[in-house]
Amino acid sequence: MNIALINASPKRSESASRALLSDFKGLLPGEHTVKSFTMNRPSIDEEEIKELCGCEAWIFFFPLYVDGIPSHLVSCLFQMEQLGIENKDIYVYGISNSGFYEGKQNRNALAILKNWCDKMGFVWGMGIGFGGGPALSSMKGIPLGKGPKSTLGSACRTLANAVLSHSTGDNLYISIDFPRFLYKVMGEMGWRQGFKANRGKR
Amino acid sequence: MRLVITDIKELQSAQNTSQRVITDDGSIHNCIGCFGCWIKTPGQCVIKDGYENIGKLFSQCDDLLIISKCFYGGFSPFVKNVLDRAISYISPHFVIRSGEMHHKRRYVNVINMTVYFYGGNITEDEMKTAQSLVTANALNYDGRVNRVLFFNSADEAREALPL
Repeated sequence: MNIALINASPKRSESASRALLSDFKGLLPGEHTVKSFTMNRPSIDEEEIKELCGCEAWIFFFPLYVDGIPSHLVSCLFQMEQLGIENKDIYVYGISNSGFYEGKQNRNALAILKNWCDKMGFVWGMGIGFGGGPALSSMKGIPLGKGPKSTLGSACRTLANAVLSHSTGDNLYISIDFPRFLYKVMGEMGWRQGFKANRGKR
Repeated sequence: MRLVITDIKELQSAQNTSQRVITDDGSIHNCIGCFGCWIKTPGQCVIKDGYENIGKLFSQCDDLLIISKCFYGGFSPFVKNVLDRAISYISPHFVIRSGEMHHKRRYVNVINMTVYFYGGNITEDEMKTAQSLVTANALNYDGRVNRVLFFNSADEAREALPL
């Protein structure tokens, strides 16, 4: 099977979406062809779209922006809708991550991706709404499925199994395995360090 | 002050002393997730393209009126871009609100959101998503939802506007 992993974060540098994609890639057996794509601008090269069309499963990794998908991704999805893609046997999956703790807050972003699938005639596979995304960049050394990434590992395996069996499932809403109050405290500390380093003001 | 955000360029003419209208002049860049508007120049986006002060405009409005083509149950690329570039309206610090983690408010004004979605063939699912999305937006702004309405075309939406 040809599988497309799409990093749809607008960040050029390190991002939680990239970290998630990298971890997820490790769950896909070697006999499949896995191609990585980057959608960080409001348009996609037509060559890339052609390459995408050769993949039976597309998995989008993106950050939650203002309760939805980032604007550049709306543009990319619309570009594909306008072009029209003949292959309708494409299964689409999505992993949305947010800085908020509750994975459920990603529900509208996943719904938008599903609604796009309906417009395209694609099959919506399933999604993961993950809360606590920013912590992932500092946890690269921790294997998926271990410690704070335990529940994430289990959810990613469920989604990987759905991809490999070309099937669908219910969306999963999960959080980093870390108490919310501690995650909040650490987040606040991170922002304070950011202010100091950049001489910003609260 | 009423702040209007729309992808209908002709509505720029509705600008007056009590109403500010943000339309697409073709120069807007998308948010790149640098958080500069939170940690480098708090309250202002670091991308200087004429749309860097949207967060500040949010702080000066009581009514936020959005007129957007409906894209998959969400906003159009331009309108979403404006909202993405306005996150400096809220503080990066967290607060628990309605049992969920959200951002603290930076300003005292309470935003009252009215959204006019337009477009042909808006599905039931898209309407449900759009309603849910605006409710979530208002919760994040610690504001309120006035109304979310759907129209078959931009013309229909324009005729119904209180401008």
